[in-house]
Amino acid sequence: MIKILSLRKSAPVHRSSWPRTAQIRLILCLAATAASFGETFAAAIVEGKIALPKNHTAPVMSKRYEIVTQGGILSTNPPLAVVYLDGSFPLPAATAAPQIIQKDMAFSPALLPVQAGTRVEFPNLDSTYHNIFSYSPAKRFDLGRYRPAERPIPSVLFDQPGLVVLRCDIHEHMRGLVLVLGGPHFVLTNAEGEYRLEGLPDGHYVLKVWLNSQTTLERMVELKDGVTLKVDFP
Amino acid sequence: MKFRLLLSFSLIVAAGVAHATDDAIDRIEDALTWSTAHDRIRARLSGTLELEEYWLPQPAQGTIYTEERRVSAPRLVLFLDAQAGSQSYFFAQSRLDRGFDPGEGRAQWRLDEYAWRITPQEDPRFNFQIGKFATVAGNWTARHLAWDNPFITAPLPYENLTGIWDGTAAPSTETLRHWAYLDPATPGQSSTTDRYRVPIIWGPSYAIGAAVSGIIAKFNYAVEIKNASLSSRPTIWNDVTGLWRNPTFSGRFGYRPDERWSLGASLSTGPFLQPSARPTLAAGTTLKDYREVVVGQDLSFAWHHWQIWAEAYEARFKIPQVGNADTFSYYLEIKYKFTPQFFSAVRWNQQIYGQLSTRTGAAMPWGRDIWRVDFAPSYRFTPHSELKLQYSLQAGGNGPHYYYETMAAQFVLRF
Repeated sequence: MIKILSLRKSAPVHRSSWPRTAQIRLILCLAATAASFGETFAAAIVEGKIALPKNHTAPVMSKRYEIVTQGGILSTNPPLAVVYLDGSFPLPAATAAPQIIQKDMAFSPALLPVQAGTRVEFPNLDSTYHNIFSYSPAKRFDLGRYRPAERPIPSVLFDQPGLVVLRCDIHEHMRGLVLVLGGPHFVLTNAEGEYRLEGLPDGHYVLKVWLNSQTTLERMVELKDGVTLKVDFP
Repeated sequence: MKFRLLLSFSLIVAAGVAHATDDAIDRIEDALTWSTAHDRIRARLSGTLELEEYWLPQPAQGTIYTEERRVSAPRLVLFLDAQAGSQSYFFAQSRLDRGFDPGEGRAQWRLDEYAWRITPQEDPRFNFQIGKFATVAGNWTARHLAWDNPFITAPLPYENLTGIWDGTAAPSTETLRHWAYLDPATPGQSSTTDRYRVPIIWGPSYAIGAAVSGIIAKFNYAVEIKNASLSSRPTIWNDVTGLWRNPTFSGRFGYRPDERWSLGASLSTGPFLQPSARPTLAAGTTLKDYREVVVGQDLSFAWHHWQIWAEAYEARFKIPQVGNADTFSYYLEIKYKFTPQFFSAVRWNQQIYGQLSTRTGAAMPWGRDIWRVDFAPSYRFTPHSELKLQYSLQAGGNGPHYYYETMAAQFVLRF
């Protein structure tokens, strides 16, 4: 609310020197912006803990015909979950593109939640080629083979909600996930399953927890400005 | 009919269940991966199910042994990859099929590869490997498996049968030319004698032995000692006695200026006759005198959706009572990915034979020159399934005609 008031106060500064139609457009624009900011910076909070799956996969790199061994043991990723507010929200404003790097023959992060309309960059930090591709219905692409020094950094616009499975055409063991969501309110849990989702708008929503391609949990929540709601998913 | 049935079956299966099973196959892959000791010891079982169908001319191309015009070659391949820390790596490949090369043999289960690799230090400058594994020579072995190979058949140097027999020493140029179907050509000869002939390199050459290899800055090297020459047939690969009595030495020196380019030079030398050929040797000679010497150059380039490979081999079969039977073979292979799921490859292959002196003193070629162009479009339905088609037009070679056409289809399911 403070943000909204301060923006409304700033509008009259321009009023005297602008034509009336322009003034109306500006007020409407600022009102829309303020409403959007009001939603983003509202103080409703949801936090809690998710019971994460215990299992994890330790990938094994095939080096049968790569006679020279490169790299040591591949890193393992603990299971994480994505907690998000389901619903229809405005498209994200243009911001710095999040990145999924390819380093030590693995995707990092191995799981990235983004809002639909987000462009994600895929820099290659290994000293060898990678070839990222996905045949997922939500996004089908193939970036081809590219070097660490490739500029601009190869990127993909994820414009449809859904799960996108990333793979490397050269390194069979490499697998990553981009979870494309409809809204901007999401967070990745830590390895213990703890999460805290801040800046949520007032109202009734469905709070969802994405655990894996087979399991998504959900619960109805009522969010109120200034109230921290505790929601655990056992 | 079989060909069409296979195509229809593959397309229906692939289109119908591929996407539905994709996630399930990922979960199967996870289930077939095992680890312990805080993930320091890991193992993974994987594989491919391959359904191949060939529509063939007669005589059939390369190492495909059949008198039929159509032949099916279903194959189940299982891989085991295991590592203990970063210093120890083991891999194995076993196959259930109708023979290493497509044909009409009975179903058989083979252990085609097994090897243990030790990397004593963290950096990759030195590795030691022992077991039964693909040759280090050239650059084709790195992509010879069905999923990685944009073609269904091997390039000419790896499958085109020369006039050289490995079970009998050629006593004269005339005999060698007869074995190469040159003079005089006998109708139907190829169907019986093709099984005695050998190419320059027999496929990936899964012979038994040991290798050292490493990377030093932009250079890499690999040297191996094996029980069989590069031309040796699969049945010889398991005979470990050759390792002690008549070893073959091969090596490759490579230079990689950046990720795009890879250049290499290979050398191999070893006896090409089987031990059973001893009674046919010329007086005063041993198996070691009948050597195959191969000098090779290879090049590869990759950038975005382009991949290019080329190899050239000069091979010499030393035959004491005949002379040096020389042949030169090369290929250029280009692959381009048109869409994320559709790609095509084209390959130009050629093999040229040298000349040998006959009893009359005339210099005569000891084989028929051959060229072949292969074209292979492929479609990947999912990250785990693909369908490849191949059309080959060959000129020259063994048969009574000049041009030969071969078609093939291959459906691969990877897990």
